[in-house]
Amino acid sequence: MPTPRVILSEAMALEVGGKEPWPNDVKLFQPYEVEQILLPDNASCLATQAFLKMAKLKYTVEPRSNAEYMSPSGKVPFIQCGAFVVSELEPIVSFVASKGVSLTNDLDSGEKADMRAYMSLISNVLVNAELFLTWCDPQTYKQVSKPRYGSVFPWPLNHLMCWQKQSAVVKRLHVLGWASKSLDDVFHEVDQCCQALTERLANKNYFFGDKPTELDALVFGHLFTVLTTPLPNNQLAATIRGYGTLVDLCKRIEHQYFELQSSS
Amino acid sequence: MGTVQAKEAQNKPVDVGAFSNKEPENGPKDESRKSQRTKANVSYPGLKLKSVKARVDKVNIEGLGRTKDDIIINSIQPLFTAGDFMEVLKQAHEIRERLVSLGCFKNVKIFIDTSSGKKATPDGLEVTFHVDEMTRLTGAVNTLFGSNNEGSVALSLRLPNLMGRGERIQAECSYGNRRTSNYNFGFVKPLRGRSNAFFTTSLFQQFSEQPASGYKQIDRGLLFDLAFTSAPLVRHNLQWETAWRDLSVLNRTTAFEIREMSGPSLKGSLRHILSVDRRDQLIFPRSGTLLRLTTEYAGIGGNVNFLKNEAQFQANIPLSADVVFQATLHSGLLKPIGNSKPPSLCDHFFLGGPISLRGFESRGVGPQAGRNAIGASTYWAGGLHLYSPLPFIRPGGFGDLFRAHLFLNAGNIGNFEFTDDYNHNLEVLGQNMRIAYGLGIAMKLGEIARVELNYCIPHSYQRTDFINKGLQFGIGFDFL
Repeated sequence: MPTPRVILSEAMALEVGGKEPWPNDVKLFQPYEVEQILLPDNASCLATQAFLKMAKLKYTVEPRSNAEYMSPSGKVPFIQCGAFVVSELEPIVSFVASKGVSLTNDLDSGEKADMRAYMSLISNVLVNAELFLTWCDPQTYKQVSKPRYGSVFPWPLNHLMCWQKQSAVVKRLHVLGWASKSLDDVFHEVDQCCQALTERLANKNYFFGDKPTELDALVFGHLFTVLTTPLPNNQLAATIRGYGTLVDLCKRIEHQYFELQSSS
Repeated sequence: MGTVQAKEAQNKPVDVGAFSNKEPENGPKDESRKSQRTKANVSYPGLKLKSVKARVDKVNIEGLGRTKDDIIINSIQPLFTAGDFMEVLKQAHEIRERLVSLGCFKNVKIFIDTSSGKKATPDGLEVTFHVDEMTRLTGAVNTLFGSNNEGSVALSLRLPNLMGRGERIQAECSYGNRRTSNYNFGFVKPLRGRSNAFFTTSLFQQFSEQPASGYKQIDRGLLFDLAFTSAPLVRHNLQWETAWRDLSVLNRTTAFEIREMSGPSLKGSLRHILSVDRRDQLIFPRSGTLLRLTTEYAGIGGNVNFLKNEAQFQANIPLSADVVFQATLHSGLLKPIGNSKPPSLCDHFFLGGPISLRGFESRGVGPQAGRNAIGASTYWAGGLHLYSPLPFIRPGGFGDLFRAHLFLNAGNIGNFEFTDDYNHNLEVLGQNMRIAYGLGIAMKLGEIARVELNYCIPHSYQRTDFINKGLQFGIGFDFL
């Protein structure tokens, strides 16, 4: 366990290092998209990529089979920026902010608080729902999660690692009170979450007006991944498809930041 | 070496005491006969044991409970081939060693008498082994303080002589205050025959931390080991190991290259260890040589594929009654097979540290990433030592635990490219050689470990090496 002194010095190093401008060789590490990555990881990787694209920051994607173990927090994705290694969307957002780049400069403090509340709604509902579907639904686990997650390990490690990961996720969901839910409960939660998001979005282009924020990136990452990932149980995608404005938002962001940018 | 209590006159009973520091309690009760103690390897004036004809008529084993007869009968067979008294003593001693190594007995004592009775032959002897069986369950609780500044408590349980033929189950586990836990669960079975073979299975979990390389490692695995002797003092171990090694980053200062190599890997390997130990004792040997060759092929399942060879050599030459000259050489070569399954970071060789190349920090020599050692595929290290007892202290007793030593050690490590040109290879191995010398005090801990406190002076080193000039403290089993 790191001592407080170490934490402080790390924070200071982050502050000091943060003053330098965004370098050109930033790498974003994530698992292999085609054969390995799973729904929840894919969603957060896509959300982070969307955020970096919205902030017009250059990066290259580095797929690694052991990305999860390389990450300082044990979660993907993470970026390597000079000597710094920062994982997950929110720490990356604050790291980017320390370089003077932010998508939320125009927001007042009330809106910022709102945005954080919606972001935590997503990590409390959508992320847990994705984890639940991926690891706790026997059909999905057997047909999709296990073969994909274990694909990078030799036998019998593929079984062991899947089992280890599954028990860690179940433990987490248990603490959050999700482990005992049924699939229908989970879809109901997602439904309510989507409803709240739709109400907030209303007729605007993005959640807070005409410019995207990290909330848009996060929503896009999760919803787009759920919509485009074929699973044996497509109820989750069907639930989200019921909310046309959210689907439109996803299409808009994809067109604006992924299709246009990659073509240009 | 046990002590021998020999009677003055020939053909009188001779009692071989079991433990050097113990009077044989169930030896001959006839105290009127004066006994004289002497070391077994010291020739006894007036008694030429070799010229005394002897034949073993009868062997008695006393104290057997649940141990099966057949393994004992197997072990004592050689005693009947002895032709003279010296041989009887030698064989009896070897059998005692073998019986002790079975792990069934707390204590084995030998009592040799002339045989009597109707069937007795003129030169006949009767050998009696008094054995003391172990209880069905033994256990221990220890507290340890390891090199990572971690205190831990260790529990061990043993079920010796489980089915009467020396089988045992042993379980050890230790918990550290930094939430590390090590387990080892093993089954050992001695096999019949003259090769003193043992079959061992163990299931283990081991935690280790390598601050110099910036990673920590959890090993979990299964090991099958067959140990046997092919010639006197030539010991083989054939091992099949499957180990799941989980490498993770130690802290934020860890180099990115180490981070890239973290994650789980599975090693399935076959290993052969040949050791020829002709030293007179394990710690502070006075004479004799040790040769240990380890060959490991990894690639039976798993995702690492390599061939690893390591050699260890040690020679001890007594210069005078007290002073011993020692030369050691260690070397290793790791060869990846193919490109798709490279060896893991923890398979690499590392050099430097108090029990390796003295005068350098642990893993302080060789290739680095950031400030972390990433190891290399080839290394060699050699040392010259001059050991003497502590000056101004009379030999015997407490002073015998200590030795003063002067040392000079040298070594090199790197990912060397070898060619067919022998001279070129030697040149590569010698390039940027590290040398350090110094003096210090070594102390033995039990009969297996040793502690050293040295004053080291690094003589030649590279700019990137972490040197340790001045005092260096080391504790371990296998010193360079």
